Amino acid sequence: MIKVKNLVKRYGSLVALDHFNLEVRDGEIFGLLGPNGSGKTTAINCMLSLLKYDKGEISLFQEPMSPTNYESKRKIGIVPQNVAVFNELTVYENIDYFCGLYVPEKSKRRPLVEEAIEFAGLKEYRKFLPKKLSGGLIRRLNIACGIAHKPRLIFLDEPTVAVDPQSRNSILEGIKALNAGGATIVYTSHYMEEVEQLCSRIMIMDKGRQIATGTKEELTAMINTGEKLTVEIYSLPLRVLDQIRSLEDVIKAEYSDSHLSAECKTGGHAIIEVLDLLRQNNLKFGLIYSEPPTLNDVFLEITGKQLRD
Amino acid sequence: MFINIFGKRIRAALRNWSTLIWTWIFPIMMATLFYFAFSALDEADLLTVIPIGIVDNQEYGEDTAFRSALGSLSADGDDKLFEATIYPSAEDAGKALENQDIDGYITLENAAPNLTVSGSGLNQTIIKSFLDQYSQTKHAITSILAENPGAVSEISELFNRESFTKEISLTQNPPSQTINYFYALLAMVCMYGAFQGHESVSYLQANLSPLGARRTLSPAKRLPMVVYDLLASFVVHVLCLMMLVAYIVLVLGVDFGSNLWMVILTCGLGSLLGIAFGALISAVTKFKENIKVALIITITMICSYGAGLMVSGINYTIARTLPVLSWLNPAARIADSFYCLYYYDNLSKYFLNLGILAAMTFTMFTITAFFLRRQRYESI
Repeated sequence: MIKVKNLVKRYGSLVALDHFNLEVRDGEIFGLLGPNGSGKTTAINCMLSLLKYDKGEISLFQEPMSPTNYESKRKIGIVPQNVAVFNELTVYENIDYFCGLYVPEKSKRRPLVEEAIEFAGLKEYRKFLPKKLSGGLIRRLNIACGIAHKPRLIFLDEPTVAVDPQSRNSILEGIKALNAGGATIVYTSHYMEEVEQLCSRIMIMDKGRQIATGTKEELTAMINTGEKLTVEIYSLPLRVLDQIRSLEDVIKAEYSDSHLSAECKTGGHAIIEVLDLLRQNNLKFGLIYSEPPTLNDVFLEITGKQLRD
Repeated sequence: MFINIFGKRIRAALRNWSTLIWTWIFPIMMATLFYFAFSALDEADLLTVIPIGIVDNQEYGEDTAFRSALGSLSADGDDKLFEATIYPSAEDAGKALENQDIDGYITLENAAPNLTVSGSGLNQTIIKSFLDQYSQTKHAITSILAENPGAVSEISELFNRESFTKEISLTQNPPSQTINYFYALLAMVCMYGAFQGHESVSYLQANLSPLGARRTLSPAKRLPMVVYDLLASFVVHVLCLMMLVAYIVLVLGVDFGSNLWMVILTCGLGSLLGIAFGALISAVTKFKENIKVALIITITMICSYGAGLMVSGINYTIARTLPVLSWLNPAARIADSFYCLYYYDNLSKYFLNLGILAAMTFTMFTITAFFLRRQRYESI
């Protein structure tokens, strides 16, 4: 569906995309994950031929992408990061306007607009001007304007920024439904939870480069960090903490606020070993829970910094 | 696609209150203000009745000729020149003069009228002229009768002053000091079409607005998109202008002459120029949105000032001292076009103005098109 080879984009001396490669397969939800400024939006704008680039090849639908490739453009839907709707047009008029740029015939367009309104949950608000809508509803309108014409490929650039949790869930469910309807989706975000929940494959980006690509499982398997263990314990002598730290399957252990946190190696038996050690030292403990490694752990281990830094 | 873009752009423009306030409500308020503030200006040149005082001494009581002459000019009617008040003494008349109840007072002494005034001005000059003329005529009659008492019947000839000049109007309509304010106001509103032009371009360029990016990424071709959009802007703006003209003509009663179609043509071309101006500012400059709007307002106000919106006659001063600046000022050309339509029966200067406006519009649209031809951007 999308192929990007060795894409280089510079803003003066700043390299925004550094030999960036990407392949998105038909029917998948592909996540571009990276901190702000990592080059996600720049990559999308280059793919859509909105930005000039210095080097590289981009093809969409097996055709080179250019500003005048109207056939390809017709099959693409875009939901930009910033809300792009007319403030003076109602919800219905906005969706109808943007759908009309793809589907000129009004008779064909009308059911598509109605479907998009239904899909975005904006039925009650069809005559509302955007200024009367809440932040979440405006975001949904922004999405409806981008998908009403039933595109085969949809670019969603951080569609949930500044959206309340309820609307966010509704948006994510909608994206899954679009994918289930046959659309291929490229989804950018700096919220790892969303990408984990939604995407079939993920590319982690930083400083215009791809750090790693794969399914969530493939990505987490790439790093040394396994599960994260947390034990509620009233008091932990430093001697015992040092013993825990010296366990073979424990990478790092900290104690604070009556909680022992330990990062464990992949495939080890750290939980059993830690609990045995606590029992041997007659230390009573409360809740125990463990979390699998997150994409943030992947990012942290590869780049040495947090995703949201 | 035409109906979709054109129709929705018109709806959007008609719902955009800030633009409507600038291009419709604000000018109507200004026109009303002009009407009430300046309506007396045209009547200022008309003579008003001059209050004068007469000292009621013995000579005044005996001088029937003077009383008769003064009475004829103080009698009620269209020709009334003086409002004469009789004062018992010079002191009383002096007090009235001091209190500015009268512009001067006359005392008859030694068979001659003496005028006392407290300053100089048009009214004082008129009183003085009347007294001089009275004295000359009285002296002439006295001399003639002394030398030739039989010439009494011909004395009346002295008062038949025939005018050998004829007052004609150089213009097809009577001159007015206030009308240029309304013309300059219309010129300003024409230039406010810039808001529409700016909005149209900014909503089309991916590097200027998210809306522009979204529209650029659609499969709709740019040229039809921008043409339909600007056409809708033009229709809305001309509509606003026509409503303003209707208000000025029908409600305020300001005369625009008899060439109504040419007034509409001028409004149309003026609007197009305003839209081209806004499109140019939007496409060429790289400032933020609010800076661009401020720039449009500033340039429009400077041009409108040069067209005589704030100071009456400044347009003539600029045309005389800096003619190139006057010719290059679009607001001055628009106001001058209305002026030509109202005053001149020969329309050659009117069409020259229109030619200049058309050339400016074409140039601005050409430069804008050059900048709009980009389809990929260095940065967004």
